[in-house]
Parts: sequence; structure tokens; C-alpha cells
Amino acid sequence: MELLQYSIRKIIAGIPLIIGVTLISFLLMVYFGPDKTFDLLGKNPTAEEIAEVREQLGYNKPFVVRYAEYLRELVTFDFGRSESTGEPVTGLLARTIPVSAALSLPGFILGNLLGVLLGLLAAFYRGGAPDKFIMASAAVGMSISFLIVIIAFQIIFSSSFGLNLFPVRGWSMDTFGDYVRYVTVPTLAMVFVALGYNTRFYRSVIVEEMNRDHVRTARAFGVPPAQLYYKLILKNALIPIITRIMFSIPFVIISGSLLIEQYFGIPGVGKATYDAITTGDQPVLKAVVALTAILLVAAQLLTDILYRAVDPRVSLR
Amino acid sequence: MSTRADQLHALDDVSGHRESLWSKAVYKFRRDRAGMWSLAVVLVYMVVAIGVIFGWWATSWAELEGGKWEAPSADHWFGTNIIGQDIFDRAIYSTRTSFEVGLVVAVLATALGGVLGALAGFFSGSWIDELIIWIMGVLDSIPFILFVAAIAYSLGDTPYAMHIAMIATFWITAGRLIRGEVIKLRGQEYVEAAHAIGVPEVVIIFRHILPNTSHILLVQATITFVAAIKSEVILSFLGIGVKEGMSWGLMIAESTREVLAGFFNNFLAASALLFGLVMAFNMFSDALQDALDPRTVAGE
Repeated sequence: MELLQYSIRKIIAGIPLIIGVTLISFLLMVYFGPDKTFDLLGKNPTAEEIAEVREQLGYNKPFVVRYAEYLRELVTFDFGRSESTGEPVTGLLARTIPVSAALSLPGFILGNLLGVLLGLLAAFYRGGAPDKFIMASAAVGMSISFLIVIIAFQIIFSSSFGLNLFPVRGWSMDTFGDYVRYVTVPTLAMVFVALGYNTRFYRSVIVEEMNRDHVRTARAFGVPPAQLYYKLILKNALIPIITRIMFSIPFVIISGSLLIEQYFGIPGVGKATYDAITTGDQPVLKAVVALTAILLVAAQLLTDILYRAVDPRVSLR
Repeated sequence: MSTRADQLHALDDVSGHRESLWSKAVYKFRRDRAGMWSLAVVLVYMVVAIGVIFGWWATSWAELEGGKWEAPSADHWFGTNIIGQDIFDRAIYSTRTSFEVGLVVAVLATALGGVLGALAGFFSGSWIDELIIWIMGVLDSIPFILFVAAIAYSLGDTPYAMHIAMIATFWITAGRLIRGEVIKLRGQEYVEAAHAIGVPEVVIIFRHILPNTSHILLVQATITFVAAIKSEVILSFLGIGVKEGMSWGLMIAESTREVLAGFFNNFLAASALLFGLVMAFNMFSDALQDALDPRTVAGE
């Protein structure tokens, strides 16, 4: 009961954020955005035809009415049809989101797991050679552009100039074997790019927990290192870790893989968004922006509930 | 070895002056070998960029000088691209683009973050603070690439849509940091004293408090510089970044049609120069952060 009340309060508190995000994107993309009148007209339109199309597109209506229309679409989750393909936007999202999730989840999970492991290792040998080596590698990894990693990995793993093990581009999830063949190179690229940032972040979180008084005391009392790390350090470090992971999930699912999907020609939300950007497909763009905002509010709520689960001292109020 | 900084350091101690954060930072930074090397590399890049601006070199980056995909030679150090343009010239010219984007975005985004962060921090709890926090949350929640596209739509055919989008989003981190710091500084005696003798609030915020956060702003500016350069490459590759001239992102976009045919010069030249600058700037930024952190000791 307490949880339900809290959730409702949190969702209401998230409304200003959703309003802000939709308002800004509506202003920029639609209200001040490109005029679509002449895209829908043939050659040499008459004044009446122009007026008719403008009426259809709602350009005559005042700003408030048009924005309210967007909010209505958001609440009913019906964004109409894509302007370039005619496909219903909801159907487009239902088709592309699973692809993006299947594409980016392995890399996201591996990148964070390896990041925590390397962070632990570096923190354990703090100041020593393994620490220096791991942190220097992280610094190098952070300095290589995502784009360069993608292209280099494609050359190394998928071209005849390298190992030639995987398909150059494309996507298929018909069988598990197909899925593995297509997902491997993008996953490796994602892990490589995220690892430097993750390792650095997790190391600093762990080192901060290591320096606390109760950890020092436990160490002095001879608590074995495994227990020390698991019970006293990792558990306490969970709050910043959860925050980082939860808040990147909406972007990972919705737009984080835009570059990868565009480069490898994978039919996920990222590619759909990119195509919508290049063709000015407003219904799709409006839906993607709104969905990201909603997911972020949901992530915020889930994060707070998870805090409570890992740390009973946190009260939901 | 006694350097001039050492002597000054000693003088400071003898005369009983309190060392300032900045003199200590300079002392610490000069002892950081990696930091000094990275600064040197960044300065070399800067000279290259300045040279391009003044037309000392890479002036013929757009001219067709050779055949298709020529191998590296004395004339064309990195060979030529698909239509016979000199890759070395193009890569050098792109240094200027990177510096322009990085500097413009870093300076303006940190300035904006400083001003809005200071206002939010000084008036924390009031509607000004609420409003600024709301704007930060909203801008943080719009996917970056979509935001760039949206700005480009609404501004029409401007080459600066990318810069504006970056400034409008990259100020947020600086803003949050400065807000926190200003909330801390707001309660200090010198602010109270300024209030007591009737100094106007605007003067207190911008003359008395904000300068005391300049070390945070400086580090944040270097981090923003790197972020801007890296974003420029990806946005230009996607076709929503640099519209005029040449950049490493455009070179890499060009190279994606070539690498699978076995021609790597374009890709390698742009990647290597980009990596060098980002790596050096990252190290410089880290060293600066260490030097300006009062908790670390020189030579550690």
C-alpha cells in the first residue's frame, strides 16, 4: 500500500518532466519545424489546394490546440501513421523495439559486469601494477571514438582483410545461430566503448567505499577479503551502481544504438529514428521522444524502489 | 633541482602568505609528467589549427591533385582519396574544425552552466532554482542525436545547429556542479559580510561567489572540449554535423565506402589524429583535476 501510494506520487511528480520534454521537442520539430505543405502537394498547386492541405495538417490551428493534440496522442498512445511509409507508428515501435533490445542488452550487461570486475581488480591492487595497467587501458579506451571502434571491428572481424568470421552487415533473429552471428560484432564494439567509462566509474565508487571507517575496522579484525568485498564494499556501492545502470536503460533501448543500427543496417528503433530524422517523419520522432521521457520517469521510480530493496534504511517518502 | 616555482613556493612560505589554490595547482601540475606531456601535445595540435586558420598550410585541401587512391608518397604523405584529394592536407585542415567546435562549445557551455548553476545555487529552494532544475532534467531526457536534429529543423539551413545543440545540452553537468558548490559557498562569512554592507545580490553572485568556482569551471571546460570533439565526429558521420569545410567525421564517413574495398588511408589518418587529440586532452584534463584538487599532494 505504501509502495502504491509512493509510486502514484512519483508518477505525478514526473509529469512536469514529460510536459517539458514534449513541449520542447514539439516546439523545435513541429511548430518551428519544416513546413510539410508542399511535400503533400503535386506540381503547381492552386491556392485552395494549399489551404486544404494546411487545414489537414492543422497549421491553421493555434499552438495550444496543436500541442494538446500531441498530448492526447501521448495519453492514448496513438501517434498516427508514419509519413514516409504509412505504417502505424505504434506498430513500427512494436516491431523495432525488440530488435534494439536484443541488439544492445548483451553488450550492456557484459560491459557493466566486466566494468565492475575490472573496477574491483583495480581497487584491490590500488596503486600497484594491475591498477595502473587497467586504468591506463581505460584511459586509452575512452579516447577512441565509438565510430572508429565500429569501423575497425568490422574490418577486423567481418572483412576479408581480417578474420572474415561474421557477416558485414544486416540482421536476423530467425534461429539462435543467426542471432549470434549478427549480434557478436556490434556487442564487442559496445563493450569496448563502454568498458573504459564503466571501469573508471566503478573503481572510484569501490575505492570510496573501501576508505570508510567500518571497512577499515573490519579489515583490522581480520575479516577475510572475499567477505569484505562482497558484504561490506560491493553491497554498499550498489546505490550508485543501480543509479547508473537504471538511468542508461531508456537510452540503451531507445536511442543508444542509433549509430550501430545505422552502420550495420539493423532494423531497430535507432535506425527507424535515424530514417525519421533524414526524412522529417514527425509522427515517428514525436513518438520516440515521448517514449524516452516516459521510460525515464519509470526508470526513476524503479530506481527508488530498488534503493529501498538494497538498503532498508532508505524510506520511500 | 630548484626551479623557479620552488623558489616562489619557498618565498610564499617565508613571507607567511597563504598559498592560493592556483599557485599550488601550477606547482603540482609542473610535477605531473604525464600532464606536461599531454599539454605539449595539445599545444602542437593548437599550433597546427592556428596555422590552418592563418593559411600557413593545408590550403589545398579541396583541390584535386592526383589520381584515385594513390599510395603514400613524398608529394602526398598519406596518399590521395577517391577523387584525388590529398589526405594529409584534409586531415590537417580538419584539426582546425575540431578546435573550433571544441573551443566554441567548451567556452560557451561552461559559461552558461556557470551562470545558471550559480543562480540556481544562490536562490536554491526558490522558483528560480526549481525552474533551472526543471530545464536541466528536461534537456537531459531528450535523446542527444534527436535534439541535434530538432535544432537543425527549427533553424533551417544554418551550419551552427550542431554547436547550438551541444551548448544547450553540455552546460548541464557544469550547471549541476556549480549549483552544488554555490550552495556550499553561500553560507560563508564573506558572503554574509557582503550582504551586511549592502552589496547587491547580482554583484555577490557574479563577483564574489562565482570566481571561487573557477577551478571547477576550468576542469569542466576541458571535459566539455573532449565531448564536443567526439560528438562532432559522430554527428558529421550521420550527416547532421559539420556542413561546411572538412572534418575528421566527414573523412571517416567518406572512408566507410572505401575500407571494405581495402583502402584504409582516409580512415587511418582521421582516426589517428582524432585519437591523439582526444587522448592528450583527456590526460591533460585528468592532470588538471588532480592539480586543482586540494586533497592530493604534489608528486604522489
